[in-house]
Amino acid sequence: MLTPVEKIIFILAAIASVGFTFHGFKTIIDSIRKGRPAPELKNIPGSLLKAGIAVLFQQTIFKARKLLSAIHMGLFFGLITYAFVNLTDALEGLIPGFDLVYGGKHLPYENVPTGLINTFNLIADVMSGFLLIAITVFFVRRFITKDKALTFRDNVLLNPKVKAGGQNRDSLVVDVFVVMHVGARLMSQAFRLTEGADPFMPIASFLNGIFGASEVGVHVAWWISLGWVMFIIPYLSRSKHTHFFMSPVNLGLAKQNPRGQLDPAVPLKMIEGTRFDPGAKHVHDLAWTRVLDAYACVQCNRCQDVCPANFYQRPLSPSALEVNKRYLLKEATFGGHPEKLELPLTETVISPEAVWSCTTCYACVRVCPVGNEPMADIVDIRRRMLVDGYEIDSGVQNALQSLATNGNWMSKGKRLRGKWAKEMEFPVKDATAEPVDHLWFVGDTASFDERVIPITKMVARIFNAAGLDFGILYKEESNAGNDVRRVGEEGLFEQLVEQNMAAFGKSQFQRIVTTDPHSFNTLKNEYPQFGSEWEVKHYTVTLLRLIEEGKLTIKNKLSNYKVTFHDPCYLGRYNGGFTAPRKLLELCGVEFVEMPRNCENSFCCGAGGGQIWMGKVAPGERPAENRIKEALTTFGEGAGDKTQLFIVTCPKDMIMYSDAVKTTGNEGKIEVRDIVQLIAEAVGVEEPKVAEPVAA
Amino acid sequence: MNIVVAIKHIPSIADDLPVSGKNVDFDSVDFVLNEWDEHSIEQAVLIKEAVGGTVTVVGVDLIGELDNVLHLALAKGADKVVKITADDPAADSHMQAKWLAEAIKGMGANMVFAGVQASNDLDGQIGPMIAAYLDMPYIGGVSSVEANGDSATVNKEFAGGAGAKYSVSMPFVAGVQAAPKPPRYAPVSKVRQMAQTATIETVSPSGDASAGLAFKNMAPPVATGHAEMIEGSSKEVAAKIVELLKSKGLA
Amino acid sequence: MSNDILVITEHMDGKFSDVSFEMVGKARELASALGGQAVAVVIGSGVDANVFASDSTLHIDDAALSGFNPEAYAKIVEALVKEKSPKAVLFGWTVTGMDVAAWLSAKTGAPCAAYAKDIRVDGGGFVVSCQVYGGKLMAEVAPEGDMAVIACLAGSFPVEAGQGSTAATATASPVDAGSLKVKFVEAIKPAGGDVDITAQAKLVSIGRGIGGKENVELAEELAQALGATVSASRPVVDAGWLPRTRQVGKSGLKVKPKLYLMLGISGAPEHLEGMKSAELIIAINTDKKAPIFNVAHYGATADLFEVAEAMLELL
Ligand SMILES: Cc1cc2nc3c(=O)[nH]c(=O)nc-3n(C[C@H](O)[C@H](O)[C@H](O)COP(=O)(O)OP(=O)(O)OC[C@H]3O[C@@H](n4cnc5c(N)ncnc54)[C@H](O)[C@@H]3O)c2cc1C
Ligand code: SF4
Ligand code: SF4
Repeated sequence: MLTPVEKIIFILAAIASVGFTFHGFKTIIDSIRKGRPAPELKNIPGSLLKAGIAVLFQQTIFKARKLLSAIHMGLFFGLITYAFVNLTDALEGLIPGFDLVYGGKHLPYENVPTGLINTFNLIADVMSGFLLIAITVFFVRRFITKDKALTFRDNVLLNPKVKAGGQNRDSLVVDVFVVMHVGARLMSQAFRLTEGADPFMPIASFLNGIFGASEVGVHVAWWISLGWVMFIIPYLSRSKHTHFFMSPVNLGLAKQNPRGQLDPAVPLKMIEGTRFDPGAKHVHDLAWTRVLDAYACVQCNRCQDVCPANFYQRPLSPSALEVNKRYLLKEATFGGHPEKLELPLTETVISPEAVWSCTTCYACVRVCPVGNEPMADIVDIRRRMLVDGYEIDSGVQNALQSLATNGNWMSKGKRLRGKWAKEMEFPVKDATAEPVDHLWFVGDTASFDERVIPITKMVARIFNAAGLDFGILYKEESNAGNDVRRVGEEGLFEQLVEQNMAAFGKSQFQRIVTTDPHSFNTLKNEYPQFGSEWEVKHYTVTLLRLIEEGKLTIKNKLSNYKVTFHDPCYLGRYNGGFTAPRKLLELCGVEFVEMPRNCENSFCCGAGGGQIWMGKVAPGERPAENRIKEALTTFGEGAGDKTQLFIVTCPKDMIMYSDAVKTTGNEGKIEVRDIVQLIAEAVGVEEPKVAEPVAA
Repeated sequence: MNIVVAIKHIPSIADDLPVSGKNVDFDSVDFVLNEWDEHSIEQAVLIKEAVGGTVTVVGVDLIGELDNVLHLALAKGADKVVKITADDPAADSHMQAKWLAEAIKGMGANMVFAGVQASNDLDGQIGPMIAAYLDMPYIGGVSSVEANGDSATVNKEFAGGAGAKYSVSMPFVAGVQAAPKPPRYAPVSKVRQMAQTATIETVSPSGDASAGLAFKNMAPPVATGHAEMIEGSSKEVAAKIVELLKSKGLA
Repeated sequence: MSNDILVITEHMDGKFSDVSFEMVGKARELASALGGQAVAVVIGSGVDANVFASDSTLHIDDAALSGFNPEAYAKIVEALVKEKSPKAVLFGWTVTGMDVAAWLSAKTGAPCAAYAKDIRVDGGGFVVSCQVYGGKLMAEVAPEGDMAVIACLAGSFPVEAGQGSTAATATASPVDAGSLKVKFVEAIKPAGGDVDITAQAKLVSIGRGIGGKENVELAEELAQALGATVSASRPVVDAGWLPRTRQVGKSGLKVKPKLYLMLGISGAPEHLEGMKSAELIIAINTDKKAPIFNVAHYGATADLFEVAEAMLELL
């Protein structure tokens, strides 16, 4: 079809396009490789394959925004189809007589597979129409209705280019590309229909009906269609749409260790001649897999949607973090300003205030369709800020100082940790002095907070009633360090781990049970790296087992309660502990209703990652308050004469939500209870009338 | 600028304090750095950062566990640390002040800082005593120190937000109430690094002084744990409160 | 060597602090038991020294000492002690007394008992009760030797017993102000803006029991009558009834006033963190099981509105 001159031009343009594309990707790969060594990834081909399949079926995007995800899926298939379409179009241009219209009847070959060609033509034609519609939806969403989900809060640090609408420009270019490319391609086919309508090309035939056939038209439309491709591919490598190529790779290289296990502050893999400071100050202090995150990011803001800190009007947006990283890298490479990499991340990527607003709830990482880990970056930035002597919040500092001296964050003496146990009506074993089956790791809040101690005692009573052989560490227990690590104080975390490991070493026990999901997480997922070999269970699992084994019997069905359940981040999203609490509630015979945000999608109470230590509390609706409202909406009107309960399985939740019930003025309407209080009622374990303390 | 900070290692009041005989049962308490000493270390390091110089932290090692505290001081920016090995957990402020004064004597200090008070200063604080033993002037309740040449501008706090500015010629001793900035946090990794690399200079106690107090008794105060309840009607309650406040000079 | 008791009084802006009167009252009691005299010592100018119930009052009236000077005070007291050989010197354990008491002890070799809550005479000497270890322990000690330095916590003794009108004898300062190394430069006044609740001696603190913004006025009135300032728990601030500068607690400010009068505050740990070291805590709460009663020194199960109004009538 093409004239010889056109052919030469086409080949030269194709070479240039490939060259620019190669340069683009090489630049990107070079900048990714400058990142620090990442934790070892196993079976990379396997996980890449798995990621490829996930991408093919668009599995990961359906975690949120179902309708848009469906349209995205269509767009994705459309573009995949178009890869083939572009190939055949190129052949049509280059090979004389290569013409697929009318089932390929003009092809200069014998035995043409007409059926196949017709099917292909039909798919290509219909797909073209769909692509035009889909892109219009995305265009309208971004530019006409201006979906809020695509914008950032004013207080969020943004790269100036992002502020100036750089993301929109990229999107516009791609939108225009799709419209032009697909439109021109349709037209080029329409102009080819010299013999009238082709039933397998309904849209092209329709256009042919309007514009007729034209030799010149074919040439012009062909050039517009394929010319755009040669321009857009190198452009993509430099725009936000690199995610077309990078997100499958990133998914394949995503975190493999348990969700609840943070990467070390300094890479385990040593590189000779390099001394790594802990955490990250500059973008290339991040592991290379997390530099890659920036290129994989779709900039969809799904992570921002689920971020409790963003909800709480804090200047934190996990997506802004990735977007800023991306623009920083772009300016440093394609933009020719490598010196920008010398600026600390806290000036270019995320504001210090935002760094300290993260609750480490993992919602952003969980929801991200391309396997990004903005939260891990935040922890790394905190780590370096601490080492560099950045002035931290006074409340956090007090907590850390107390943790370093007292082993708890509440400035209580070590000897007071077991005080509650000494007040019990039966002796609570000291696991450091006599062998026990279950070592109960109680945690700070449950050991010291006056409001939680009654619940702690109730757990002890139930364990005792079930005949569980358990003991505690008394003064030898230190804070497990989960939140200490997430605040970025790696050294203190290690110190606490050593203290607890020493206490474990002194004791004889078979397994660990915890009442605190935070302790549970680190004991289960991180302590093994420090030599812990014990099985760790959350008390909800232990309670369920005791009931199932008949050690505890449900005597009273609690049908007088209507309850909902809050999945604590560190039990649910981090460790998948969804079923035990729900089964327990079922066994208790309560009326159970599920809040819209449940299980994986549970909404953080706002206390994690050291937030509960913060000395300054920002104004605005707190996540916990929002959650209480969600529960009340879920209950709806008319629980009748039933009492409405908000059930928790975490001591911090007890404090956060009791407070939120008060601050939202909902006392009397909803009550916060620990699941163990329900169990106690159901199995008929009561507080003794007059507690007779036994001498320890 | 040569700044010496004298610190005190004291029983932690985070725990209940058991008594043995007529004094604290020192075997069953944890020792911690006096909280105001954190401020005097911070104040010293701030001055060093502003005008240069060295910060030396010196304390009496009562139970053989002062090293941790000294490593912490190094991590916070002290240049040199010295411990006076006493091995007597009951050493009173007078003894400690005397030993500290003897140790500080040869250090050529321009300024000596101490925490304004400690919770176990039964016989007074070490700051003013070190001043007396070294024949230097003392100023306490200090909320900021700025060094300018051979004198310093010192702010002292009074009650109710009021205060006064003083000019003090060196050398002098200051009892620090609060540093201008909250004491910095020393990451544990840094403290541990100090523990591995730093050297602590050790000296023996020299000199002799004593509080001169005979211990008659030591016990938790009676009736803690619950408020003394004022009974009666609201009017009676109000009257009793007003009476109580008047008797204490608060109304 | 005499049986006299010297009381080093303290004053600011022309007014003696309560602890000065408290100590003079106590000194009278001690001196009469020992057969000596209670001597009030007033250092500095610009104050009416004829206000004590002391046996005699010595006024070292020197214009150069109009602002407190720790070095001058120390040297003056040292000279007085040499001259008078008293049985005891009483200081307030306050920002001024603390600068001198231990110095005098080390300088003269006399024992010092600090954090004193009570002093009694026992066989010609003293027994002092001292509140040490943050109030967790009371130590009873007997100072040995001829003279004792005793530094008293404010609020330990009644004020009235020290109030009187003994005429002061003015004397010149034995210390040459020009030779001092510590020089008073200027007074610093409290910063402006909203009141700094951490710097207040008395706080009337309101909690959610206050019920609404319209009732805050009642608390303001009570505070005014007591010469106090209004502070609050977080819910009151969250509700916008008072500005954030008034919030006491973990996520607010930490206060240590002489008086913390609590109206309708339950006593959550986050609140306690901000006020538990107040010297006198009085709590009014309708709930007799409110946890604040485990922390307060005095409490009453009563309606805060009724109590506040009744108090207003009496003040
Ligand atoms: C992370 C975090 C940080 C926090 N930081 C702070 C903080 O800095 N400061 C703070 O204060 N709180 C803080 N809180 C909140 C704290 O947990 C409590 O919720 C809060 O202190 C309760 O305030 P309150 O005592 O005024 O209210 P409530 O607990 O509701 O108590 C009101 C009291 O008033 C009594 N009452 C009602 N009517 C009357 C009446 N007519 N007469 C007398 N008494 C009456 C009631 O019996 C009740 O005891 C924080 C909470 C969290 C989770
Ligand atoms: S971990 Fe949670 S709080 Fe932190 S950035 Fe992600 S979503 Fe936000
Ligand atoms: S990090 Fe993931 S969820 Fe967040 S904007 Fe990027 S792609 Fe979307």
